[in-house]
Amino acid sequence: MKKIIIGDRITKSFGEREEQRNVLDELSIEINEGEFVAIMGASGSGKSTLMFALSGMDEVNSGKVVFGDRDLSAMGENELSDIRRTKMGFVFQQPIMLKNLNIIDNIILPMMRDNRKNVASISDKARALMKRVGIGELEEHDITQVSGGQLQRAGICRALINNPKIIFGDEPTGALNSKSAQEIMNIFSEINEEGTTVLLVTHDAKVAARTERVMFMRDGKIVSELKLSKYDGTNMDTRIEKVTRKMIELGI
Amino acid sequence: MYFRIIGNDILKNKMITLVTMIFVAAAAMLVSLAAILTINLSGALDTLMTKSKTPHFLQMHSGEIDHARLTSFAEKNSNVDKFQVIEFLNIDGSEIILGENSLVDSVQDNGFSTQSEQFDYLLDLDGNIINVSEGELYVPISYMRDNITKVGDKAVISGQEFVVAGFLRDSQMNSTLSASKRFLVSENDYEKMKNLGSIEHLIEFRLKDLSALGEFETAYAAAELEANGPTVTYTLFKMMNALSDGMMIAVILFVSALVVAITFICIRFTLLSKMEDDYHEIGVMKAIGLRISDIKRIYLVKYVAIATVGSILGFGLSILFKGILLENIRLYMGEAENSSFAILFGIIGILLVLFSILLYVNGVLKHFRKISVVEAIRFGTSQEKSSGAKRFCLNRNWLFNTNIFLGIKDVLTRKKLYATMLAVLVVSSFIIIVPQNLYNTISSKSFTQYMGIGDYDMRIDIQQTSNISEKTDEILKEISNDRAISNYAALTTKIFKAKMEDGTEENLKVELGDHSAFPIAYSGGKAPVQENEIALSSINADELNKKIGDRITLVIEGEEKDFSVSGIYSDITNGGKTAKAVFTDNSADIMWSIIIAELSDTSMVDNKISEYLSKFGYAKISNVDEFVTQTFGSTIRSVETASYAAVAVSLIITVLITLLFMKLLIAKDRTSIAAMKALGFTKSDIRIQYMSRSVFVLIIGIVLGTLLANTLGELLAGAIISSFGADSFKFTVNPLSAYLLCPLMMVCAVLIATVGGTSGAGQIKISENIKG
Ligand SMILES: Nc1ncnc2c1ncn2[C@@H]1O[C@H](COP(=O)(O)OP(=O)(O)O)[C@@H](O)[C@H]1O
Ligand SMILES: [Mg+2]
Repeated sequence: MKKIIIGDRITKSFGEREEQRNVLDELSIEINEGEFVAIMGASGSGKSTLMFALSGMDEVNSGKVVFGDRDLSAMGENELSDIRRTKMGFVFQQPIMLKNLNIIDNIILPMMRDNRKNVASISDKARALMKRVGIGELEEHDITQVSGGQLQRAGICRALINNPKIIFGDEPTGALNSKSAQEIMNIFSEINEEGTTVLLVTHDAKVAARTERVMFMRDGKIVSELKLSKYDGTNMDTRIEKVTRKMIELGI
Repeated sequence: MYFRIIGNDILKNKMITLVTMIFVAAAAMLVSLAAILTINLSGALDTLMTKSKTPHFLQMHSGEIDHARLTSFAEKNSNVDKFQVIEFLNIDGSEIILGENSLVDSVQDNGFSTQSEQFDYLLDLDGNIINVSEGELYVPISYMRDNITKVGDKAVISGQEFVVAGFLRDSQMNSTLSASKRFLVSENDYEKMKNLGSIEHLIEFRLKDLSALGEFETAYAAAELEANGPTVTYTLFKMMNALSDGMMIAVILFVSALVVAITFICIRFTLLSKMEDDYHEIGVMKAIGLRISDIKRIYLVKYVAIATVGSILGFGLSILFKGILLENIRLYMGEAENSSFAILFGIIGILLVLFSILLYVNGVLKHFRKISVVEAIRFGTSQEKSSGAKRFCLNRNWLFNTNIFLGIKDVLTRKKLYATMLAVLVVSSFIIIVPQNLYNTISSKSFTQYMGIGDYDMRIDIQQTSNISEKTDEILKEISNDRAISNYAALTTKIFKAKMEDGTEENLKVELGDHSAFPIAYSGGKAPVQENEIALSSINADELNKKIGDRITLVIEGEEKDFSVSGIYSDITNGGKTAKAVFTDNSADIMWSIIIAELSDTSMVDNKISEYLSKFGYAKISNVDEFVTQTFGSTIRSVETASYAAVAVSLIITVLITLLFMKLLIAKDRTSIAAMKALGFTKSDIRIQYMSRSVFVLIIGIVLGTLLANTLGELLAGAIISSFGADSFKFTVNPLSAYLLCPLMMVCAVLIATVGGTSGAGQIKISENIKG
């Protein structure tokens, strides 16, 4: 199977000298193309740090990150930006949007840098995406005029606007109630069905149970892994139970 | 916790702290200097005018003088304390040779006097009344400053030899604004020189009580005594002496106001960005119920420290620099007796600056109160209401590059934030353009026409001599046969009595002749053409309260004749009080006449002048360009220097404020920048966004600044110029420099500052600003 991201013994530390400690400690990870994966771990276990490292937003102290067939750790800042802009999509826990742009402008922003001339077709695509995630009527709204769930959906639209190869979600449902969370997870499933790789970080067993492979983090390492079948809308309770049991087993 | 907030703030913001301190120091220095100068100026001026016993009332008079009548007037008038008539022997500059230099090019009326007996003394540089011996010559102080001569030089005056024994301070004629300069010689030497020049009389009075001056002036005018020449009063002497240094003080005060304003802006930016940094902490502190006043106090302490150190520094600097600025006052007026007070006033000035800065800091800190607890905790930054520019949307934008679009959009949505920067840029471009336009205007040829000088090359003055009319004819005859002269006109000035509405009469100097040969610029109306038309200089029109079309009655050959005012013009010659008419008149005494001429080959002017000088020794012949240079040259030069200084100062201000502003913006926009980076915008994309913001604001600033400069600036400059006697002022603009070069310089300055100020954006880490 073709790998889309390989993290090879990556180490990341913060702080100076004595206070220094490795948040990621020679961690290795591989994600296949088209996979739907979750990473679980206690709060502060380094999940977000791992996401930043894998997406090239933060450099690592040692080790190597390969995206497709390109070594991210050897790239300059501009190249990394180009890859993020054209090949990756991000959904954060807090939807981070530009305050002075309205919803649709925020969504099309990553595309507009390089394809300004196609503004009409990009906008049409954004409208289609918004309709699909259920916020079709909000395009001209300011970001302060909509709810957290709606904003998170807009964030997903923004992540999808450039047809990314992979979508990173760092606790994308963390700030939402469970109904909204379920709806968001449905969208991620759909996206994955269409062939996009999805990598989620979460500490919520319900979220992890929707994916096909769950990795568990502790002390800066991946300590265990749980393979699940592709989610088909059934057996949700058993899936959740499997994940929860593993969590208890590992003391997460 | 409080001190953690301030923390190593001063260390962390070394640059901004230092800049603020430097500005405080500069403001303190300037204010202190202005105070020290003011005290010294008024003190030195008082000392000079007291020691030399400056006349309270002076009437200059050329022509015969009736001593007996004047004496009896003085004796009868109860206000008069002392009275004297002094002779002023006018000798042409070409006849005065001091050391190596002759005063041939001097536009001053140079004259010789003996030491007065009762008052109006000429003083030496120690402030003592000069006792001059035979063969000695004392030279006006201004020739020392101009390095024309030095003590011990040989001087030759109309062939008579002297030794320059020293320099003198003349409380009447010291000022460069005064058209005459007095040299001092001994009684015996004076007697020998007496027939070498023309004598003017200085009729001088000291009053028992200066407050009775107005009353005395009226009495003198009513007595119809000698009055063929200007009248000067004590207050005017004082003003003329104080003017040039007074202007300097005014400029210093103006600049210090500017510096204080910049200090305020620096403080505002630093404090606001500090608050931005600490937004979350402050919100939390408020949330858990800590007192705002405690937090405020910490910030205040920091600024007390900065401002105090700055002020002490500024005071030291002002003590250091005061010597240089006091040089002129010391030279022209001597030491002030109250100079120890000066330093006290300097300190008071500095305290004022210090106090206003602390007050301002306190005012800015009021923003603390506005920090919303909820917003601070929820968003970590202040949420400005985005307003306006709703229709300026990315999804409808195909015109601008996306980065440029984002820059402009940001300015449009956060107008309030950008207003401070805009204001600074408007002021900067205003400061760049106005002095420059002023310089262009006054150095342009057409400007001299505004000043009442036509476009001619050579000017022949026939004055202070007898038979003016015959002499004029003699020269005219020569000129009319001179092929090198392409155009000429003779203008004769006579005094007529003008009837006032209240029945009184006033003397009016009227220039008669052909005014169409060398037209000047009229601020309203046109030159007189008909026999019954008259044009008035703007000062005369003001004083006589006449408008174009009004009637004015003159007494000509004993008969009253009505004239209509055909036009009003600006004039700097003859104190600005002139009139022009074309009627013929054979009666009244001619005061002076001038012949003005244009040469077919202007490069020959100097040759022509020497040719005519050798033929007509009694006339004063001058090159107009030289006349203009000597009259305005120093003004033009100082405006030129000022305009360069203004460019430099504005550019520095622009760079500095843009730098600070960009740093503030970056601090404020950290989260947005991190988001942009996460979405794949590069460092240079972000730099372009910030550059577009500042260039967009700058363009608005330049447009507004230029508009203001051409309206308000023109008005202001016009006000300055009108003090020289010109009105209806219009800027002559050099479009290349005003509309291309200067804006370009500002764009460069702003771009450099933006790059410098936003360099921090590159260091913003996505992972530190996006909480996962
Ligand atoms: N920029 C940073 N500087 C210092 N320490 C950091 C930084 N970012 C994260 N850390 C530390 O790394 C650890 C892991 O953080 P993070 O990856 O955000 O955890 P998680 O997302 O799993 O909750 C935490 O202990 C946190 O304190
Ligand atoms: Mg996290």
